[in-house]
Amino acid sequence: MITFQEWFSDFSNLFYKCFIKEDRYKLLISGIGVTIKVSLLAVFIGILIGLLIAMCNLSNKKLLKWMGGIYTGVIRGTPAVTQLMIIYFVVFATVDLDKWIIAAIAFGINSGAYVSEIIRAGILSVDHGQTEAGRSLGLNAFQTMTRIVIPQAVKNIFPALCNEFIVLIKETAIVGYVGLMDIQKAGDFIKSATFVAFMPLIGTAVIYYVLIKILTLLLCRIEKGLRKSDVR
Amino acid sequence: MIKVRNLHKKFGDLNVLNGIDEHISQGEVVVVIGPSGSGKSTFLRCLNLLEDVTEGEIYVDDQLINSPKVNVNEVRQKMGMVFQQFNLFPHLTIMDNITLAPVLLKKMTKDEAVKKGKDLLRRVNLEEKAQSYPVQLSGGQKQRVAIARALAMNPEIMLFDEPTSALDPEMVGEVLDVMKDLARSGMTMVIVTHEMGFAREVASRVLFVDQGVIMESGRPEEVFGNPQNERTKLFLSKVL
Repeated sequence: MITFQEWFSDFSNLFYKCFIKEDRYKLLISGIGVTIKVSLLAVFIGILIGLLIAMCNLSNKKLLKWMGGIYTGVIRGTPAVTQLMIIYFVVFATVDLDKWIIAAIAFGINSGAYVSEIIRAGILSVDHGQTEAGRSLGLNAFQTMTRIVIPQAVKNIFPALCNEFIVLIKETAIVGYVGLMDIQKAGDFIKSATFVAFMPLIGTAVIYYVLIKILTLLLCRIEKGLRKSDVR
Repeated sequence: MIKVRNLHKKFGDLNVLNGIDEHISQGEVVVVIGPSGSGKSTFLRCLNLLEDVTEGEIYVDDQLINSPKVNVNEVRQKMGMVFQQFNLFPHLTIMDNITLAPVLLKKMTKDEAVKKGKDLLRRVNLEEKAQSYPVQLSGGQKQRVAIARALAMNPEIMLFDEPTSALDPEMVGEVLDVMKDLARSGMTMVIVTHEMGFAREVASRVLFVDQGVIMESGRPEEVFGNPQNERTKLFLSKVL
């Protein structure tokens, strides 16, 4: 039976060894930076691609529909790690770009397929009467889409989009495969250097959790703003 | 003002309009009546090309509008439309609902549009609702805003697609009053409705549509008082 003091001194020793000694916390901090950088750019690319693919899927041109279908099919049908490695080692093999940018492009391409389905569902959720009202006033299809349909769709898809972003942040934990030192990789590195598994892995989990908690709170505030016109 | 020649509309195999010929002159208030499924709403929606026409010609101000060369958006700017389900834009305030199209289509500056919006809201008795959102309004108020929104584009023609059918009975009157005002001001109107009393009072002409054709057309006292067509008689005996 160990006493609390013994347990606590063991714990703080481990903590010191894993995070403080040799400035290992700095690895994790720069890892947080990498994760955030990659995720943010990937989200941005994902929305752009998602919007584009959603428009393809919703259009009545057969070719565009077909292309959109292929894109979503291929991305959803292959693992994200495989896509990341193909993009990094094949597509961008000879291109001189920062690693993190290539990774963000890969994740953006991946996320775009899921985002496109979310956007498509959101646009379809807006009553067709809204489109008719816009068109009957003389707005063209693009004006109706951007001024009337999409602003309403955004409200409907926002929760699903937030969920997708959270999934995306966690998905970036595989960037170690292409040699980027993100949170996960930093934790892994500390594990190998100290031969301690518990502390760095739990630390990694806590960092992801806190990161996503903060993001969730932020997004909730934005959503409240979006629902302004629903208040009676 | 509007000339329709041999208008046909098919939805798949279903023939909804089977050759409609009609001439609507400036200042006329034409009320279209008929049983459900007769094609009266489809006829109205063909007039501003919300439905594409299967066969036939529609002329507005002597311009053939159902031709690929025509800019549909410009044609529609001349024709306001009011829907059964109001279709106000829920994410915009009442004022923004009204000013969106005139400003976006560069018919007016923002200031002019707001001024016009205020005038129109006064006309439909909803001045105090300018900054409200549609969800805060009753059905009758929404429909009056929808009329104001259509009028903001200074249309030459107003189309009404069963404007009171989705309203609670006690709100029908306020919407019909606005429409009566509009008719008195000389606006050209085409109205699909089940309000026979209103048709009798306001219409300059009544069209009875059934099975996708105009069965009878005439002044309201003729159509209601002395219908010639058997189907018109049957329909009126059921609804009056």
